[in-house]
Amino acid sequence: MNHQDDPIEAMLRKQFEGAIADDGFSERMMQRLPPRRSRIAWPLWLGLLGGAGPCWLSVAGLPWTRVSWRYWTDGSLSTSTIGLLLAMAGMSLLACWWSIAEADDR
Amino acid sequence: MARVTNNVAEARIDQALVARSLGANDRRAFEQLVRRHQGMVRAQLRRLLHGDHAAADDLAQEAFLLAWRKLDQFRGAAKFSTWLYRIAYSCFLQAYRKKPLPADNGDELAADRLPATSPILDLQLDLERAMQRLSEAEQIVLLHCVQLGLSHEEAAYVLTMPLGTVKTHATRGKAKLKTWLAAWSEAVNEERA
Repeated sequence: MNHQDDPIEAMLRKQFEGAIADDGFSERMMQRLPPRRSRIAWPLWLGLLGGAGPCWLSVAGLPWTRVSWRYWTDGSLSTSTIGLLLAMAGMSLLACWWSIAEADDR
Repeated sequence: MARVTNNVAEARIDQALVARSLGANDRRAFEQLVRRHQGMVRAQLRRLLHGDHAAADDLAQEAFLLAWRKLDQFRGAAKFSTWLYRIAYSCFLQAYRKKPLPADNGDELAADRLPATSPILDLQLDLERAMQRLSEAEQIVLLHCVQLGLSHEEAAYVLTMPLGTVKTHATRGKAKLKTWLAAWSEAVNEERA
């Protein structure tokens, strides 16, 4: 027995009133439709650079960063290198979470 | 076969209208989408809201506004109609998660439409009552799978339920209705034969 032959399904389909007539719904709907917000990319990139630039400048001069960076380029994992990597991973996760939240709210 | 071809053609029209709405910011294209799908989305919400037409239309407007805002997130993996059902269902859940649903007036509606002594009316009333005895999940799954004509996979996507759960609710719901409406099922079969 296929779905078309099932008497219960036949009764349920018969009971369903089907698509509702428009009766001005679409027109009322279109009157409420707001203008689409155009997405401009440059403020996002400006914000990213504005945040990352000063952040890098303030951290780059610290001896701790220089030591971590040296260990990292040498291929050895010191406590400071792990700390640096963890900080970078944390910031990436935060940025990722923020992007997802923003995309969902739009 | 013809139905499948028709569905594919309908899906292509929807895709083209979505692309026009997004690319050229064409409000008319979106209006076409609203006109094409408002009937079934409103029917879905009226059923979910047990026949409360005003509340269903308010939620349908909300769903279409949300679809307009999120149109760029429509990737075409599901049919546009299925995507809309999902948005409408999520609007329904958000609005009625903490509020009690309006009392069912399905019996009243059926009584308004048909003469008092009609056997069709009796069948409708029995079916309405039997549907109300089903669990909320079974009612919702049967609405989407049988009455709105979605596949189990599409219903799972709309209701954000695992596929197995959808299949279980559909089977259990139909089995219960079959038991409660055994006499009517036989009558329907005889009518067909």
